[in-house]
Amino acid sequence: MGSAAASEPLLLLRGVGKVYEGEQPIVGLEAVDLDIFPGDFLAVMGPSGSGKSTLMNILGCLDVPTSGTYEIKGVPVTTLSPEALAAMRNREIGFIFQVFHLLPRYTALRNVELPLLYAGVGREERARRALEALRSVGIEDRKNHLSNQLSGGQKQKVAIARALVNRPSLLLADEPTGNLDSKSGEELMAILAQLNAGGATIVLVTHDLAIARNARRIVHIIDGRLVTPEEYRERRG
Amino acid sequence: MNPVEFFGVAIDALRTNRLRSALTMLGVIIGVAAVILLVSLGQGTKNYVEEQFAGLGANILIVTPGKIETRGGPPVIGATRHKLTLDDARILEKKGYLFGGVAPVVFGTAEVRSGSRSRNVSTLGVTPEFSPVRNIHVEVGNFVTDSDVDAKRRVCILGRTVKRELFGNANALGQVVKISGARFRVMGIMERKGVSLGFDIDDIVFIPVRTAMDIFDTDALFEILISVRNKNDIDSGKELARSLLFKNHNRHEDFTITNQAAMLSSLFTILDTLTYVLGGIAAISLLVGGIGIMNIMLVTVKERTNEIGIRKAVGARNRDILLQFLLESTTLSAAGGVCGALAGTLGAGAIRLLVPKIPVEVPPWAVVLAFTFSVFVGIFFGVYPARKAAALHPIEALRYE
Ligand SMILES: Nc1ncnc2c1ncn2[C@@H]1O[C@H](COP(=O)(O)OP(=O)(O)O)[C@@H](O)[C@H]1O
Ligand SMILES: [Mg+2]
Repeated sequence: MGSAAASEPLLLLRGVGKVYEGEQPIVGLEAVDLDIFPGDFLAVMGPSGSGKSTLMNILGCLDVPTSGTYEIKGVPVTTLSPEALAAMRNREIGFIFQVFHLLPRYTALRNVELPLLYAGVGREERARRALEALRSVGIEDRKNHLSNQLSGGQKQKVAIARALVNRPSLLLADEPTGNLDSKSGEELMAILAQLNAGGATIVLVTHDLAIARNARRIVHIIDGRLVTPEEYRERRG
Repeated sequence: MNPVEFFGVAIDALRTNRLRSALTMLGVIIGVAAVILLVSLGQGTKNYVEEQFAGLGANILIVTPGKIETRGGPPVIGATRHKLTLDDARILEKKGYLFGGVAPVVFGTAEVRSGSRSRNVSTLGVTPEFSPVRNIHVEVGNFVTDSDVDAKRRVCILGRTVKRELFGNANALGQVVKISGARFRVMGIMERKGVSLGFDIDDIVFIPVRTAMDIFDTDALFEILISVRNKNDIDSGKELARSLLFKNHNRHEDFTITNQAAMLSSLFTILDTLTYVLGGIAAISLLVGGIGIMNIMLVTVKERTNEIGIRKAVGARNRDILLQFLLESTTLSAAGGVCGALAGTLGAGAIRLLVPKIPVEVPPWAVVLAFTFSVFVGIFFGVYPARKAAALHPIEALRYE
């Protein structure tokens, strides 16, 4: 499957599972093996409720698996403290959400500065790098707008800038076009493709094949398990 | 992330909810102002009393007839078995090597008349010693002299108030007044002393002690004042006076010696306690203000769950979130503390201006203490909401609408 198998994997998942405890335990993810290499552009496809977000949250260190091992650059994430997980999110990962998740009363610039704030970067350096990130996604003219005054497409660009600003090893985008019109969606995918061309490693979640085709490779997920394209076609009917 | 940055974040958050922040602060403002006002009132009262006692002499022992069992209180009149006499005073003076002066006092109320004007005043029969012992002196003329006492002369010294009431602005020295019908020559006018504990020290007439005994037809003294020469000898002086009188009274302890300094210091202790109690009661309102802060912080954390999720997603550690909300509650209470300190101090000033009779004195320590306390209230009541915020799971926080 992998095209860049020569180098060490950036992410390495072995038998990763996630069970949501409750009155009735729900299996969100089951026995996932996955290698992601630097420079990859991976699309994760699957129907609603199949476990795409569960996988992404684990990849992004926002949640921990209940079984299996997960390594980032050889570091076993499953054993890390909450502190170390926070540092991992801060340095290695840039997250892009379907619902943007910007701070509404902050300007675009301050939203983009946020990861740098927690990285301990000084005020001026922060503003400079945030502006640079905004420029790289072509939205620096909106830097002083409050994020809740921006359109969906603009918000998502700001979110990408925020994900990029601390130069992470990995960009995670969970249905980033889900709340965008098709034109904004295309624009966004062009930005991601361009970032990947520049060397960024990207994992993208979508249930839209047209969107997934932007990626270099596609994995399919059903009921929390990775399946072959054949099985996927079969089960999706 | 350094604390200054957190501080900016806290200020921003508080500014987006101005009215709410102001109302929450109001609780602290009222608390701090109340602490300062009530403590100032307590302190003012103490200073007032202290002023009233000032110049009374701290190293004075007061011997009164009658024995009381409980220490420190006033003697019970009915308990008198034997009187204090001039002989007692003489013994104390002769053998009291620690004493600077011994002043026997006879007390009575008499009508003092000058021409058509008359006045009922407290009349003290005294010896020359009274003036140095009590530290009050004549302004013009002379105080009672030894020969006045020995010769039972009918001379008197008028307090300022008596002089003004009887003579107005006219010269009184050398004039004749009638005290209980007897003619007395005015030998001196006392200096102004003012009001002490509601008692007008200037509304007094002094006459020689033996003369007073004749006028009031008694040989019993009201009290004997003793000044102890050295402040450190107060206790041994008291013991000396006790043993001298004990022997002179046929081995009966039918008198009471009170140490004025001890009495005053216990009074001041009471007033200090009063101050603390008042401050403590006010501090309760500050605690209530703290509960208001906790309440609003819990609401804030709930409302900003999504924000907390976002911050955690981009790398905020639990302690960053904790510090952020802790700084928010502390900023709230500290700002309230500053306003409250201002309000309390200005309020005390206003009371002093508008109602000068109420003694208020703002002690700087009360301002510092109230402010510091308010800061701690913000920290204390902010910890629980801040910990709640810090403990949120990033995914659940992000999903919260
Ligand atoms: N916090 C949670 N608690 C319980 N069940 C959850 C939780 N999050 C997701 N799930 C369940 O896990 C499964 C996968 O969900 P999710 O990863 O969000 O799917 P997708 O993103 O592919 O739509 C679903 O059945 C969902 O109901
Ligand atoms: Mg999802």
